[in-house]
Amino acid sequence: MSAITLKDIRKSYAGGPQILHGVSMDIQHGEFIVIVGPSGCGKSTLLRLLAGLDPCEQGELLIDGKRANDLPPQDRDIGMIFQNYALYPHMTVLENIAFGLELRKVPKVERLKRARSVAETLQLTSYLDRKPGALSGGQRQRVAMGRAMARDCSTFLMDEPLSNLDNALRVAMRTEIKDLHRQLGATIIYVTHDQTEALSLADRVAVMKDGHLQQFDTPDMIYDQPVNRFVAGFLGSPAMNFVPADCIDDWGGERNIDVGFRPEALSLNRSPVSGPSITARVVLTEMTGATFIVHCESEAGRLSAVVARGEELPHEGDTIWLSLDPSQALCFDAISGVRLDLPVMHHSQMPKTHVKETA
Amino acid sequence: MKPENPFLAVLALAAGLLFLSPVLYSIWMSFQTADAYYTGNIEFTFHNYEMAIGQYNFARYLVNSVIVSGLVTLIGLAVATCAAFAFARYTFPGSNLLFGAVVATLMIPSHITLIPNYLTLAKAGLLDTYAGLVLPAVSNGFAAFFLRQYIRGIPRALDEAAYMDGASPLKVLWRVIIPLSKPAILSMGLYIFISEWNNYIWPLVAIGREDLYTLQIGLARLYRVNPGEDIIDWPLVMAASTITILPVLVGFILVERHLIRGMMMGAVK
Repeated sequence: MSAITLKDIRKSYAGGPQILHGVSMDIQHGEFIVIVGPSGCGKSTLLRLLAGLDPCEQGELLIDGKRANDLPPQDRDIGMIFQNYALYPHMTVLENIAFGLELRKVPKVERLKRARSVAETLQLTSYLDRKPGALSGGQRQRVAMGRAMARDCSTFLMDEPLSNLDNALRVAMRTEIKDLHRQLGATIIYVTHDQTEALSLADRVAVMKDGHLQQFDTPDMIYDQPVNRFVAGFLGSPAMNFVPADCIDDWGGERNIDVGFRPEALSLNRSPVSGPSITARVVLTEMTGATFIVHCESEAGRLSAVVARGEELPHEGDTIWLSLDPSQALCFDAISGVRLDLPVMHHSQMPKTHVKETA
Repeated sequence: MKPENPFLAVLALAAGLLFLSPVLYSIWMSFQTADAYYTGNIEFTFHNYEMAIGQYNFARYLVNSVIVSGLVTLIGLAVATCAAFAFARYTFPGSNLLFGAVVATLMIPSHITLIPNYLTLAKAGLLDTYAGLVLPAVSNGFAAFFLRQYIRGIPRALDEAAYMDGASPLKVLWRVIIPLSKPAILSMGLYIFISEWNNYIWPLVAIGREDLYTLQIGLARLYRVNPGEDIIDWPLVMAASTITILPVLVGFILVERHLIRGMMMGAVK
């Protein structure tokens, strides 16, 4: 039985636009699901419906196979970690963690024991008597996690829990969350707009846009086989390049489409090359650490390519030829943006007549 | 805190003394005998206090004032806090209209409600009772409005976190909203207490029994304790006044210590 099932969930607020347009998902026990999408795509709304903080009037929400549309938050066996932590400022760390147990009438000795044990797991033992105002961002984030963990819920909802942390702490906490998921074995539904978080944490990623679920699949599939141009462009950094097939020299396939290729699939050449390529002018090079990103201007618009450190870098203003491996290219319908399963062949594999026509 | 400008410090001190001087003078006068006061001599005595408390029953009035003001404050705060929480957090059909009606009560002068309130309590048989003094004052539109504005400033995420933790709406109010609204509730409590403590008209109208008099009524009676005599015993009046202001002053000093700022620090980023 699935942990959580969403069937055609729709949501609109009185007098406002429709926010969710029929979202359906089937989430298994113990899965780490990341819902990702740009601001305003409805991901936080979906999480609030799951939590029971907003009423779910249209569609069906099942928790452990039972209809939960009208179940109040406290009866859903779900813990939530809020984006802004929402710690009770008048309570100490220990009281914050134990509050949920107190409300559930767990005896004092038992709840303090459990709160202390959770605090130990989260390395909060030395801060138990402090109030949230005396904690750093990372510590507050941990207390927020501890508060949800103490209740021993079967499902945790996390609403952009790392978005208020600095980069180093975010990376560290990401690893901790992943570790915790392994330890707890609970179902986690995690909302973020950060694609790196999505790909690194998730067992399955749900990509949303404008209230529509675009794709719900494993990070590998999302990255390698995006269902449409939006998903392809949203995940991956730097973003995927899209070029009309017409603008690629020696392109051997269908012409009336857009071709997408990841920056790492391009190779830079100083002189014209045989096979599919694009002529471009270098605008900017950017060092990211292990690699350089080369930004170019071409007939097809802005493109970016990734070059490993140590390789010779072109100078700004240089003309270069970006060759691409057709096996790594994805084809998208130029109008609808849907990915097309078209065979992409090198020109040498094409029938002679076709090559002549397109040359 | 060191004042930047010594001139300002002197000015502030002078202004403070100016405001305090009538109070200090009345306290000083309360320890003088009437004869000494009228002849311009200085003669220290506790006699005025003994008279006020003993002969003029101010101990009883003080107890009455404490009971009435205390009950009005406690019940008034409870009613206003619940109303404020509902208005701040819930939208229900007619909620805006109802809130508008609550705010509109602020625009009605209390004297206009004097006769209707009197008639209502007379019918209910509550004149000359503590309930008759307390009940008309417990619904306070200003307190509901003030607390509602304050509660709206508390992040809703805290309520939601408590709901997720398993709290009912009443638990959210009791365990989250009230502790976080402590500065506002205490300020409002002090305001209600002082207003009720100083209330003169309603106790005058609603109470005829001497044993239910509040301090303000008792104080007013001191002006006519010696009918036929033109001389008012000012040192006695000042002693009674000092008894009247002292509890409020102590209450203010006690509550002021709790009106701490920064309760919201660290709640949300």
